[in-house]
Amino acid sequence: MSVSKKIVLLGHFGVGKSSLLRRFVEDTFSENYIVTIGVHIMKKEVSIAGEQVTLIIWDVEGTDDFTKYRPSYLMGAASFIYVFDASREVTYSDLKYNLEHLSEKYPHVPVHIIGNKVDLVDANILQENLLSQNIKPDYLSSAKTGENVEQLFENVAAQVLKND
Amino acid sequence: MIEELRKDFVKNTTQIIVSDTESRVLQSDNNILSIPTGNYLTSVHPFFYTISNLLEEPLDENYFYCVQIENLGKNYFFDIKTKIYRKSGQVALFLIDFTEHYKSVHKIKQARNESIIDFNIAQELNNELQVQRGFKNKFLANVSHEIRTPLNSIVGFIQVLQNTGLNREQLDLVNIVKSSSENLKSIVNDLLDISKIEAGRLEIKNKRFNLHLLLDELVKAHQIQAEEKRITFQFERGESLPRFIVLDRLRLNQVLVNLLDNAIKYTQVGNITFSVTTPSKNRRKIPIVFEVKDTGIGIDAENVTTIFESFTQLEKRGLFGGTGLGLSIVKQLSELMEGKIEVESVKGKGSIFRFTVEAGVSHDQKAEKKLRSRTSKSKESKNSKYRVLLGEDIEVNQLLLMRIFADHPDYSLDIAKNGEHVLKLLDHYKYDLILMDLTMPIMDGFDATARIRNHKNKHISKIPIIALSARCSDEDIEESKEVGMNGYLIKPIDERELFQTMEKLIQRYKRKGQGVS
Repeated sequence: MSVSKKIVLLGHFGVGKSSLLRRFVEDTFSENYIVTIGVHIMKKEVSIAGEQVTLIIWDVEGTDDFTKYRPSYLMGAASFIYVFDASREVTYSDLKYNLEHLSEKYPHVPVHIIGNKVDLVDANILQENLLSQNIKPDYLSSAKTGENVEQLFENVAAQVLKND
Repeated sequence: MIEELRKDFVKNTTQIIVSDTESRVLQSDNNILSIPTGNYLTSVHPFFYTISNLLEEPLDENYFYCVQIENLGKNYFFDIKTKIYRKSGQVALFLIDFTEHYKSVHKIKQARNESIIDFNIAQELNNELQVQRGFKNKFLANVSHEIRTPLNSIVGFIQVLQNTGLNREQLDLVNIVKSSSENLKSIVNDLLDISKIEAGRLEIKNKRFNLHLLLDELVKAHQIQAEEKRITFQFERGESLPRFIVLDRLRLNQVLVNLLDNAIKYTQVGNITFSVTTPSKNRRKIPIVFEVKDTGIGIDAENVTTIFESFTQLEKRGLFGGTGLGLSIVKQLSELMEGKIEVESVKGKGSIFRFTVEAGVSHDQKAEKKLRSRTSKSKESKNSKYRVLLGEDIEVNQLLLMRIFADHPDYSLDIAKNGEHVLKLLDHYKYDLILMDLTMPIMDGFDATARIRNHKNKHISKIPIIALSARCSDEDIEESKEVGMNGYLIKPIDERELFQTMEKLIQRYKRKGQGVS
């Protein structure tokens, strides 16, 4: 029997949360930026070491101020995925501040940090920028090329099951 | 009536569903979504998985705004209220359809977010450019500095060589070397200036100066160049042009030299007209229009907009030489001076470059008198011999200064090899002026100057000191002032400028009752 787990995608607008989700669930990608308003939810069943888990993924409208997230969107989450745009520093310069807010309000929910759109940046420059701000993402991904997308969601699912 | 309207409104906008806590439908009015009793809501949309979490939440009622739900090919935006009845294990869901409202919100947010992202991307690109530009400027400044030092010796010794009784052929050859080295010097200066301007380190320093004198010097120098090319050079000075104005003399001179040099460079036949006018004479601040008109090669209409960019040249085949930095410097300097540079040009007929800048007017007649009296005093006092001390560690630079001084019998030169040596010689001999290299072993020029200014002997502590250095950053110039230096000359040293500066400082020193002779 499959268990269902709620995963919430968080981050500034335009960082590629919806694109990551579509790449993961539908294996599609569009260059067009379509704003998400409110919340858009998709699900996908994955198998982790023979165990089935249905990920209910909430793609929440982006914001740079995490204190503005509606609590109802985040309630019951088994994991947060914090997505930033590797090509726009403004989307990760306040990462620490936002993480502090999450750990204060949701201390038991693990957060995975993802740098998306790595296809648009020079890897060395990005590493230098991240190091200088002491940011250590769990994954660097590209919804466009599919790089690390499957892996990151599977990794999240595995951790969710482990914590269950 | 109202009851009927309410029913009609609710029927079109709201759906009420009752389910158990496992999301199985117990009742539904099916106003919007058709959901048969007994079905699981989770099979309609993944949002309804949230029902299983509600039991763990402290509140009985929860609100979920703007939830996108696709059903049978249609996209809805619902605000959803949930209410849990814990005793009976039932959940009531109120789905309120705000699709039209949220669609209009979506349009606004789409436009807003797109513009913010575009702005962010532009900022990132700009930051990247600034980093690259910073690297380029630093590189240019360092390379230019390294070139300046040996260039100093080349330019200086060529001047010395010219006065060693050469025959005609030798003099011609030396003149070619001189002309090439001066071109190189001007290119290095352009590179340094452009790197300073782009790094935002070039400051405009407005001071009062004699505009007529500056124009006379410019006209004299360019008339000679024009004559050499057999082209006519005309100068028109506006009647109401004030003698003394307040502006950055150095940078104004640089703009005009660039424009006049270009006019001569690109004109093979015909004439050049340099006019300086002002439409006003009574105000404290007046616009001055500097216009350089030539009958040269002219510029294509398509290139007129790009000629002020760095590394752009009017002539692509390289017949005229140069780096293509001159007009870029002109434009950037004119902007720093809050002026305006314009160009009108016809290919094959010629060009008009017009620089307009606001300048303060100084009607100080005393200043003119003072200037005249200084000039005559300076002439009178030339009979006596001035003793100058040079602090310089590099032998070739010592040699160059010795040769330059050898042609000026009014001056004698002693040499100290470092700052400490300068202090020793000052204790034994009296000097009218010190020329101080900044970078020296044992004790540098800054340290030596600071010690001289604190010397207990008044004659020594007040002695004029001129810094001689290949370093030309504003920081070095500022530091030289802070330690008490009276002048700053950048290597390669211009012989005329050196003696004018020394003369001026020695005269001032003597007026204050100091000095040897």
